[in-house]
Amino acid sequence: MSATVYTIRDSIKNLPKNIRSSVVRPVEGTQEQARAAAVFGNVFLHIHPARVHENSLRFSYTLGLGLISFYLFLILSVSGTLLMFYYTPSTQLAYHNMKDLEYVVSFGVILRNIHRWSAHAMVACVFLHMCRVFYTGSYKAPREFNWVVGVCLLLMTLFLSFTGYLLPWDQLAFWAITVGSNIAAYAPWIGEKIRFVILGGNEVGQMALIRFYVLHVALLPVVALILMGIHFWRIRKDGGLSRPAAE
Amino acid sequence: MHVAKKEEIFPIDPNKTYSLMAIVEGDSLQVDKDPGDTVSSWPNLVLRELLLFLVVGIAVVAVSLLFNAPLEEPANALHSTNPAKAPWYFVGIQELVSYSAFLGGIVAPAGIVLSLLFLPYLDRNPAGVGVWFAKERRVATTLFTVFVVSMLVLIVIGQFLRGPNWTLYLPWK
Repeated sequence: MSATVYTIRDSIKNLPKNIRSSVVRPVEGTQEQARAAAVFGNVFLHIHPARVHENSLRFSYTLGLGLISFYLFLILSVSGTLLMFYYTPSTQLAYHNMKDLEYVVSFGVILRNIHRWSAHAMVACVFLHMCRVFYTGSYKAPREFNWVVGVCLLLMTLFLSFTGYLLPWDQLAFWAITVGSNIAAYAPWIGEKIRFVILGGNEVGQMALIRFYVLHVALLPVVALILMGIHFWRIRKDGGLSRPAAE
Repeated sequence: MHVAKKEEIFPIDPNKTYSLMAIVEGDSLQVDKDPGDTVSSWPNLVLRELLLFLVVGIAVVAVSLLFNAPLEEPANALHSTNPAKAPWYFVGIQELVSYSAFLGGIVAPAGIVLSLLFLPYLDRNPAGVGVWFAKERRVATTLFTVFVVSMLVLIVIGQFLRGPNWTLYLPWK
């Protein structure tokens, strides 16, 4: 048996091929196997099953609302990260940062617009997604728990949007958060204390701004991501998207 | 599990190295599933997903090119806007608060969240799953529609029909 000879010459000659086959997991076999391997051999696609039910592809069934919500979350993550480069969570600077985004930063206005409109759209799409799941009865067994995770994700979306609302530090932001946090204070006995914890004080100020900022850019996105992971994983474990019972 | 009567279903054939041993009842992943009504995810599902991403991206950029995000005067704790409104998705709650702070601000939101969380454990009849507005679920559909429409009506009133001091006014005045 002759051992394979490894020469530098061959290594260099096959460099592109070898790099490619080391990055992309090799796919061999029939067309059907290659298609399956394309899904489960790819870290970004492996959340999908190798085969899906035809009903799951019907746009008129899902209206794509869950996926649209996820895409908006991605767009918000990217645009939000870029906005963080230009934003300081300080009552002295935050509003000036907004003006700088408008007049100084290249495409700053569009960046802020993308973040703002995507955020509003995400609240709407998550709510509509919930309506779709309700009207198709998709929360019935075995999908009860995924509905519960979805309700938590709706709350996360609302909290993310609400905490982001304060950050521009303009009159709209300030008084909206004042009104919103006052609602929490109506709870009996502990209402005032809840508002104190939310705002880090009795009224909206620097402490509230830094709290909302940290919640908005760190804590809530991480919680939302974890919940999303569970949500998507449970779709598969619960047998894919709901569909009419087989005849 | 029925042990198959081999002789009746498949006559013993000395040339075969396998035979039907048993018929299993009940569900497993592939029992009673027709492979004909599934398709491979790549490319059928993944390409549709990528297409949807393009559509969402284009829509977001188009809206962002056309409309600027609102930015008002710098925050001033001494000068409140009149009316001061919560973000639009909470304006329905704010509208309820204007009737009763405790009922509208605490009881209603807590009631909504709790009923949403417990919904799948209370409504368990599997009839009509997988069909939009299934006939079998008319009561549930009606109740949920009442909830959605009342939320929308409250938001529209709060957002567009409430003027200074939270009095009713018409938006074009």
